[in-house]
Amino acid sequence: MLKALFHILIFPGLSFLFVFGFFAEYVDRKLYARLQNRIGPPWFQPLADFIKLISKQEIIPEEADNNVFKLMPLLALAASSVAILYIPISGERSVFSFNGDVIVVLYLLTIPTFAYFLGGWYSRSVYSMIGAVRSLTQLFAYEVPLFLCILASAMLADTWSLSGIAAFYNQHIGYWFCNIIGFVVALICLLGKLEKVPFDIPEAETEIVAGSFTEYNGRLLAFIRMSFNVEMVVGASLLAAVFLPFGLNLAPAGVLICYLIQVLIIIVAISFLRTLFARLRLDQMINFCWKYLAPLAFLQVLFNLTLKVVLPR
Amino acid sequence: MHDVHDFEDVKIPIGPQHPALKEPESFLISLRGEKITASSVRLGYNHRGIEKACEERTYTQGLYLIERICGICSHSHSTCFVQAVEEIAGIEITARAKYLRTLIGELERIHSHLLWLGVAGHEIGFDTLLMYTWRDREVVMDLLATLTGNRVNYGINTVGGVRRDISHKQKEEVLKAIDILEERTKYYIDLAKGETTLIKRLQGVGVLSHEDAEKLDAVGPTARASGIERDVRKDDPYAAYGELDFKVISVNSCDVYGRTLVRLGELMESFSLVRQVIRKIPDGSILVKSARKVPAGEAVSRYEAPRGEDLHYVRANGTEKPDRVKVRAPTLANIQSVSKMLEDRYLADMPIVIAAIDPCFSCTDRLVAVRDTKNKGSNTVVWETIRLQGIEWYKNKGIDFTSLNEKLTKLS
Amino acid sequence: MSEEKVKQELEDKFSYLKDTVTITRKGRIFVQVPLDKFNEVFVYVVKQMRFLALSAITGLDRGDGFEVIYHLNREGRVLLNLSVRLNKENPEVNSVTGYCPSADIYERELVDLFGIKVKGIAPGHRYPLTDDWPEGEYPLRKDWKGHKEAQNA
Repeated sequence: MLKALFHILIFPGLSFLFVFGFFAEYVDRKLYARLQNRIGPPWFQPLADFIKLISKQEIIPEEADNNVFKLMPLLALAASSVAILYIPISGERSVFSFNGDVIVVLYLLTIPTFAYFLGGWYSRSVYSMIGAVRSLTQLFAYEVPLFLCILASAMLADTWSLSGIAAFYNQHIGYWFCNIIGFVVALICLLGKLEKVPFDIPEAETEIVAGSFTEYNGRLLAFIRMSFNVEMVVGASLLAAVFLPFGLNLAPAGVLICYLIQVLIIIVAISFLRTLFARLRLDQMINFCWKYLAPLAFLQVLFNLTLKVVLPR
Repeated sequence: MHDVHDFEDVKIPIGPQHPALKEPESFLISLRGEKITASSVRLGYNHRGIEKACEERTYTQGLYLIERICGICSHSHSTCFVQAVEEIAGIEITARAKYLRTLIGELERIHSHLLWLGVAGHEIGFDTLLMYTWRDREVVMDLLATLTGNRVNYGINTVGGVRRDISHKQKEEVLKAIDILEERTKYYIDLAKGETTLIKRLQGVGVLSHEDAEKLDAVGPTARASGIERDVRKDDPYAAYGELDFKVISVNSCDVYGRTLVRLGELMESFSLVRQVIRKIPDGSILVKSARKVPAGEAVSRYEAPRGEDLHYVRANGTEKPDRVKVRAPTLANIQSVSKMLEDRYLADMPIVIAAIDPCFSCTDRLVAVRDTKNKGSNTVVWETIRLQGIEWYKNKGIDFTSLNEKLTKLS
Repeated sequence: MSEEKVKQELEDKFSYLKDTVTITRKGRIFVQVPLDKFNEVFVYVVKQMRFLALSAITGLDRGDGFEVIYHLNREGRVLLNLSVRLNKENPEVNSVTGYCPSADIYERELVDLFGIKVKGIAPGHRYPLTDDWPEGEYPLRKDWKGHKEAQNA
């Protein structure tokens, strides 16, 4: 019982996720700023922003559905935080694990997007509603390639558990390279999930102010921002666990450092990508996902199915 | 300019305050899904009554007021106005003054176009471009500050010439800065021609056909991107443009991408113009003495501002003050084509389409009408009242500048 | 076609325009047109002489009446300024949006700032004054010295 509480509250649960989430946000913002020739924020800026927002007065629009409006940010934060418990981060084994947890994690990561949709929709502001519809439309575009890529990796490992995948690739360390297409596609999909440029269509500032989050402020906005940070960490961890099976044989401290480095590499890659591009239009984004990402993901699935027959186990 | 009466569609207000607009103007857009089905525009939020104010000021006072119509194309407005006054008064300014006006005008164009490029980047979510171009824009801003003393509102024009001369050292500084800027602009041209997401977002967006552009009297880069080769600097040369060599940049793509290329091309032309001015600038005085009173008469003056043709009409009645000053800023001519450009486009294209005419609503609207919510109706407030109210407001908040002001007056 | 030719053509076509066409400098022609003849001159100038682009419309208060000046240009080069005088009691002009669609906004300016009636203007937002601007106050008229409430305050 105590152990479970420790896992949920301290590591790899809420405390760890919050600290690492702040750090990830700092890395992302600082790097983004440096790449744009700006100085960027100091290390404590994400925490300072969080405290400022928490201490602000909360304003809820009269028209909005009070309960849904308040509940959704918490739901988003909770869903993405739970997912970390099923992802192996310190070694081959995650905290909780069963055959089929890949599916659970993927769906847990989908819940925040639905939460943003509902929160936006029930804010009853035109900007929020358009943003909400956009985030849902976008979901249908990136979710399929993302799922296919991760499932392709799972197929090769012949297991539906994330711990099992990690263990398999740890034993056959060279096989990770077979999933390289899948990794790249999944990384791009992660940009869509995190609503970052070029896929920040649901919160496109110059079009619809802040999309779903236009009416959010104070504590609730702090939770939304936190849930984005946590999503970023969890998303990166998922990619690291599935596609980058390195350093799992080291001492426990070494494993953790290795994991942190892998996650940071993915976050750095995200920052680089969002510096490079202009925001796409919704129709262009959907086109891109279905024309290029989905076929590539299918290719990965077919490739892995073939490999499964050919390669020695 | 039609009201939107379709109830099936979602209507979204863009403005008067909106992140896509840098100044207050209101667009009402009707959406079906992501598609724009109708749009209407309401102007006038920035009307400050400058035309009326000019009638109560002398020509010289009016000149500095006119300069404050807009922060970005301030030199355009002041030159345009002063040209009209000089024409009525029959003053022929010296060649050196003409070259200096051209120099500042071209530097202003460079800073305005770089600014636009950054704003355009921001509107399509390409913030990196915004940060890069605005960093480079600092170079030309600093240059303008060394030449005129100000980063904006240069105050270099006066009736009968210019107020500041250029030294040999400054000429070298200008050339050095232009070299840096030219290299950077070449990089942006490469970027505009090679960056896929940028091209995807700009090509085929905000189409204004050649015929529509002519019919709606579009001006400046907006018209030139629709294949209309019209440039006041060429067609009706003023200042030193008649003696300088430059091309009018025009493309036939009729879209936002074309407008980007036109502005980038114009930047390159401006660099060459600045170099020519520095090379050719004749010696001599910069100012011709002029009487305070201007004889009765009228004149229309035109100036190619960075955003297009700027037109000022001045009527003099023989006193120190003008009888009528009319300002037609380029944005007013272009704003009418925006509804056309938005037809059948996506919501996501709206910011860049509006931005692509490089709107400057301060120029467009020119009375302070402060709405008094307590006593129904409007109330015109004079500047001094607003200033005192502001001081009082800050005092109530515990911020008091009285002691600081006293110190300042002692210093000066 | 040079400015002289434009002057010649106008004077040949419309005898009443004799002595009212002045060329102030290269590219600037000012023409004083009688109010009742304005439409025929305007249509001729736009349709036959191809002064297609309307740069602006200026209104001004002469004290005893109003004057409206239409700034037309041909291919950006020659600027033809047609001015027409209106009486103080009932200033009214016809809308030219049928010939120059861009005239709309300039005509609204005339309506708002001078109180000149424009016949045939399409319904729409006012420009540039606020929607709650009091009736009968036209800021650019010479006798307007600020709001009545502001003056009394």
